[in-house]
Order: sequence, then C-alpha cells, then structure tokens
Amino acid sequence: MSLSLLVQALLNGFGLAMAYVLVALGLTLIFSILEIINFAHGEFYMVGAFVAYLAFGVWGLPYVVALLAAIICVAAAGVVAERLVFRHLRGKTLNAFIVSLGLLWVMQAAAQLVFGVQDKSVPSAFSGIVRLSGVVISVERLAVTLAAATLIVALYAFLEHTRTGRAMRATAQDADAAALLGVNIEAVSALGFGVGCGLAGASGALLAPIFSVSPSMGALPVLKAFIIIIIGGMGSLPGAVLGGLLLGALEGVGTLFFSSAAVNLLGFLMVIAVLLLRPRGLLGGT
Amino acid sequence: MAPRHAAVSPLLALGLLALAGVVLPLVTRDSYYLDVATTIVMSLLLTMSLRMQISTGQLNMAHISFMGIGAYTSALLAMRAGLSFWLTLWVGALVAAAFAVPIGAIALRLTGPYYFLITFAFSEVARLIFNNFFVDLLGGPSGLVEIPPPRPLLGVAFTGKLEQYCLMLALFLLGAAILVRLEYSRFGLAAGAIRQGELLSATLGVDVLRYKLTAFVLGSAMAGVAGGFFAHSHRVLHSSDFGLEPMVQLVIFTVIGGVGSIWGPVIGTVLMTVASELMRELRHYETLVFGLVLILIMLFLPDGLVSVPSRLVRALARTRARRGAIGVDVAT
Amino acid sequence: MGVSPGTVHGLIGPNGAGKSTVFNLISGVLPPSSGEIHFKGERISGLGPAEICRRGIARTFQATTVFSEYTVLQNLMVAGQPRSNDGTLAALVCSAGYRRGEVDAHSRARELLASFRLDSVADRVVGTLPHRDQKALSVGMALATGAEMLLLDEPLAGLAAQETRDVMDLLRTLRRRGLTVLLVEHDMRAVMDLCDRITVLDHGTPIAEGTPTEVQANPAVVEAYLGAAVDSEAGG
Repeated sequence: MSLSLLVQALLNGFGLAMAYVLVALGLTLIFSILEIINFAHGEFYMVGAFVAYLAFGVWGLPYVVALLAAIICVAAAGVVAERLVFRHLRGKTLNAFIVSLGLLWVMQAAAQLVFGVQDKSVPSAFSGIVRLSGVVISVERLAVTLAAATLIVALYAFLEHTRTGRAMRATAQDADAAALLGVNIEAVSALGFGVGCGLAGASGALLAPIFSVSPSMGALPVLKAFIIIIIGGMGSLPGAVLGGLLLGALEGVGTLFFSSAAVNLLGFLMVIAVLLLRPRGLLGGT
Repeated sequence: MAPRHAAVSPLLALGLLALAGVVLPLVTRDSYYLDVATTIVMSLLLTMSLRMQISTGQLNMAHISFMGIGAYTSALLAMRAGLSFWLTLWVGALVAAAFAVPIGAIALRLTGPYYFLITFAFSEVARLIFNNFFVDLLGGPSGLVEIPPPRPLLGVAFTGKLEQYCLMLALFLLGAAILVRLEYSRFGLAAGAIRQGELLSATLGVDVLRYKLTAFVLGSAMAGVAGGFFAHSHRVLHSSDFGLEPMVQLVIFTVIGGVGSIWGPVIGTVLMTVASELMRELRHYETLVFGLVLILIMLFLPDGLVSVPSRLVRALARTRARRGAIGVDVAT
Repeated sequence: MGVSPGTVHGLIGPNGAGKSTVFNLISGVLPPSSGEIHFKGERISGLGPAEICRRGIARTFQATTVFSEYTVLQNLMVAGQPRSNDGTLAALVCSAGYRRGEVDAHSRARELLASFRLDSVADRVVGTLPHRDQKALSVGMALATGAEMLLLDEPLAGLAAQETRDVMDLLRTLRRRGLTVLLVEHDMRAVMDLCDRITVLDHGTPIAEGTPTEVQANPAVVEAYLGAAVDSEAGG
C-alpha cells in the first residue's frame, strides 16, 4: 500500500471534514453559550445549501456572492429562532431537545413544500484538478477546504480579538459572572446563535456543489458534527477542529480497509470510548 | 400508605385505563382501528418504561435498541430453534435485560447531556449491527422476514388483529401494574429524589447508581417484551424500526405528555398518535403542524400536557382570588 | 484531626480555609488525594457518600439543600429509608419486611416533625416554606438517616436570636443522646459556648486544636482571624 495512496485517503477525508468542522463549530458555540443542544442545526445547514442553489444555481450570481448570501440569510434565521424560541429554554436541556426537534420538522417540511422532495444539483464553481507528487486533489475540494479554513480562522479572530467575541467567550464560561460585568447576555445569546447557524449555512453552501441538495440533507452532517464535538469536547472550539481532523482521518483511511458501515461503527465506538475515558473530550474544559 | 401524593388514585387510573382498553374491541372490530390501538398500547409500554428512567433524571436514547434486542432474539429463537413464541417472548426480554446490565453500568457513570450522548452512541452502534453485521443471522439491510406468528394458545389463534390487540393489552397492563406499584413505593420516592438532587440523595444514603441501574434494566426488559410482540405481529424486522426516528418519537410522546406524572406518557402517546393518524392525509403539512405543536407545547406547557388540569385549577383560583380582592359583586 | 464520640466539635477558620472541603472529604463527596479517614476504627476514605451515610455519618450543606418538589414528610421519608438492599422486588410484592421498613421510616419521620416543630407543615411542599424551616428540615433529614455523627455546615447562618438558641439547645440534646456533632460555624459566641473541642483551620491546614479556652488564647489563631474577624461580623 503506497504512501501516496494513504496521503490521498487522508486528504480526501480532511477535505470534507473541514466543512463538517464548520457545522460542529456552530453546534458547540451554541451549546457553550446557551447550554442547549440544537438538533435542528442540520436544517440551518440545509437552508444554506438551498440559498446557494437559488443564488448560484438558479439565478446565476457569482459563487462568492451566493456563499455570503447563504451565511447572512442563515445567520439571520438563527437570530430569529433564538429570539422567538430558544431564549426561553436556556439550560433546559430536555425541553430544548424537543423544541429543536419541532423546529427541525418545521424547517424540513417548509423546505419540502417550497422546493419539493427531489434532489437538486448545483453546478460546480471550480473545475480541474491539482497534482502534487502523485496525489490528486480536485480544485473544488481544495477550495472548500480553504474556504472552511478561512472561516475558522475568522471565527477565531472574532472570538479572541473583538469585544463582542470576548463577551461571547465570557458568557460561555460563566453567564452569571459575565452579566455582572455588564455583558448583555440577551444580545450575546442571539448573536452567538446567529454566528453558529451562519457557520452551518456556510458549510451547506460550500458542500452544495459536491453533494446534491435536498430537504433531508442535514441529517448526516449534524450527526458527524455531534461525533466531532464529543470527541473534541463540547464547548471547545479547538477541540472541534481536532475532532474533525481525527474523524476525517478515520473516515479517509478507514474506508480503504473497511466497509462504510464498519467505519461508522468505529466512529461511534470512538465516541463511547471518549465519553468514558475523558467525557470532557480531548480538549474540553470544565 | 403511599409515600407519593397522587392527584387521582393510581389504582383507579389503572382500572380506568384497563376498562378503556377492554371496551374498545367491544365497540369496534374494524381492523384499521384495532391496528392503531395495538400500536398505541405497544407505544404505551415503551413510553411508560422510558418515563420511569427519565424520572431518575436520565434520558436513555438506547431504549429502542433494547426493543430491537428483544425483537431479534425472539424472532431468531422461533425461526432457528423452533421454540414457541410464548417462551421466546420472555427469553427476548431476559436477553434485553442481560445486555442492559453491562451497558447500563457503563453508561450510568455519566449524567445529563453526556448520558444522553453515550446512550445515543450505543443506539447507533446497535442499529448499525442490526443493519450491516451478522447478515445471515439478522438479515442485513433487507431485514428479517417471515417471522412466525404466535402459536395458538388454549385453542385461540393469534394471527388476527383482535387477538393481537388483546395480547398486547394484557402485556401492557402487566407492565403498567409493575410501574405503578414501583412509582408509589419507596422506589418511586427515591427516583424522584435522585432527579431533584443526586448529591443530596447520595449523602442521605440513597444508592443512586443501583436505583438508576434497576430502572435501566427493568425498563429495557419491558422494551424487550414490546420488541418480542412487535416481531411476531409485524412478522418483519428492519433496522430502521429501531433507529433514531422511532426513538425520537418515543421521547416526544413521553415529554409532551409530561415526565412528572406516571400518566403523562399515556396522554402524550394517545393524543399524538391519534392526531398523527387524523392528519396523515396532509403529508408535509402534517410534519409542519406537528413541529409547531411541539414548539408551542414546550414553550407554554413546559411540564407537559399532564399539567393542564393543575394549571387550570390554579388559574381559576387566581381569578377567584383577584375578584375577591377587588370586591367584585358576583351575585346579581 | 480527631473527633471524640459524644462531643460537639467545632471546625472554624477564615473564609477559604477549607472547612467545606473537610466535610466533602469526610462525607465521601470528594476523594482524598492523600491521607486517610477513619470512623469507628474503620477506614472510610475513598468510599462513596451513600456508603459513608450507611456507616453512620450524615451531613448538611452550606446552601440549604432539600428536595424542593417534595413535601416535608416526603423529604424525611427519603432520608429515613431503610439501609437494607434496594428492595425493588420487596417493594413490588409489598413483603412484610418492606412494609415494616415503611412503617418505621414513617414513625421516625413523625417523631422528627414533632421535635423540629414542623408538624403543621408536614404536607406542605418544601419549596414554598420559609428558609429557616428548610434549614431545620435539612438537619432533621440528616438525623432521619439514623446517623451517629452529624456534619453540620453553618446551621446558625441567617437565624434570629431565639432560633439560634433553639438550635443550640437541639445540639445539646443530641450530645446528651450520645450523637457526635462536627460543626462549621462563624458565630464565635455560639461555637465557644457549645463546643467541647475546636479545630482551627487556615489555608487548608489545622493550626490549632483544643478546648475553647485554649483555642481563644492561641496566638496563631488570633493572627489568622485578625483579618477574618471583620468578615465574620459582616458575613455572619
């Protein structure tokens, strides 16, 4: 088994993993600020894909515009969802779970009614391949990986170096203390939800040309996102990146030797092992 | 003397439920209605046993997997070993319980969202095994087919909807009786204490892990019974019967009804199943409406539908008090 | 640190000295990273809270902790549960042993209701009761476990003069009955009045142990408290 084959498998795995990391980052950001697990997160991913489908696939706008439109629309939708529904459920995990299921159904049904159940395909924005010493990478996947990486870096910069970003991190660490220090928890929660959903929407728009677009497309990414954040640590952003890389590596290399079902099984066994040995995840904090 | 306070005497409620169950086939012999009723009764066993676990503060996302274990065990013993359903049903439940002991011992080391996630991971592992592994035994993606129906008992054949309904009703009432007895005993008192404060309960001598594990294993055994029934009445098993969608449905039925009361799941299951059947024609609109209903109920009735009577009582008391305070002359 | 049976032993020290940590260690909430804890000649360090309670040590918490959705009686019944096996099967078939256990727990609960003067609110949901009743209940619950040793975390905090006297009388009664009490308190007058012996903790280590008179005269104690004296007045 040649090294280049292994590297190829790893790169294939990583390429997609980066996009899933965006979804995972959004999920873990929302969890850390609001302490709720948003099961409808995959639907925001789906909405992002549909916005890209409309803007780029149907109306022919430039791809970058479509991507930005997806991010903005989905982020706005996230803020609305938080203001209307999720703000009342801070910390109430069981009820928030049910509500997010309800939201999932509402969004999926709405998408089905508006767009129909048929898969839609979005044309590729990039074409061609790149060859690097025996390893083949499609330009498209490369673009997805680079775009995702850029967004991750932008998120990091936002959280580390802006006042709003720091306020968000403070709220995630200890909401009461942050409130006492003058942070507007309500605004931070709404914004955090918006950013989290925006990331999912970006991922949807990035992956739309690669996978077909359908109302039910959100189920798989959100499942992967859960695996990623459990492994990396709920509430830890570097953990989400690490978890994504690990999952990407597992899937990329795993499919060389095992069936995809076995690879999925291994993924969940890894989740169980992490939860037992280090429930906070590899990089999770308190 | 029951340590728990009940709004309605539990025996009376159980009796009414049994009565309603028995009266149904007298009112209708329509196979569609009997089918829906059978599904409801089976779901009741599943949701009530899930609720018992939630009452200790744990949401077990693998509940449906134990139904699957019971189902596949019973089906395979009947098909491969030629054993009678009347035996394999209970063996299936025992096997489900046997799996529940180590899985519960592992999972219950965690609490809250981590317990939720690890049981979810277990359920996916189970589903993947049902779907992709041991294919010659479990049937793989095409599922397990041609499962024999229960053999005739005391001259009664169990191939018809009516007999199957009565069987499921009997199994359910047995399970419900056990759950009710436990709820209003020291067990139920301790379970509620654990949910309200695990640390406090432990420092008062309550063996928290033991209670949780007992609830887990007993609940899984009941799920196994439901699974055995499902296998031999449905005659076909597929991994999707034990996946995330049906599990989520169970959670919704239970939580919408209200986990604070043992009868919460009853209300939730019956109302939601009936509503779903009524709206079946609407297809996508059904999903949309259901989603909205879920959101609205959780926002405005966080304790579930079962809290409606007590809320009405309180609201009435408040209006009466307000009127009294303002001195409104009610008499005309 | 040592506590003699049948005494009221005070544990004092400035804020942050580690008094609650000592309670957590003894009651099994925290495992010790080093060292051992012995009770009645047996090693209890490393055991879980439920097992330690079964061996005869019960505690209260600084933030009054009760089961707020249950009634007063139900709270006492939870604490008074028989320490035997989990009894699920016994509960199911309602065996004679199970029924006896319930009757015992019920009568013990009634006794405690009387001595804590909570009979009138026996069936009230605890969450609706005033704080001092909740505090009294938490001590009652610790007693309901049948423990021989009580760890009481600031039982006098937030109480008025008469209530403080009542609690102090209660503690003297418990001592007369042969129970051992380890008491964390900031009310110095009460501590000096009540305790047979006192251990003083500062920054996690015991800096003095002895009778109230001995401790009061100890210069190290005075120094540790010079800064804390103002806190204890202000914070209670």
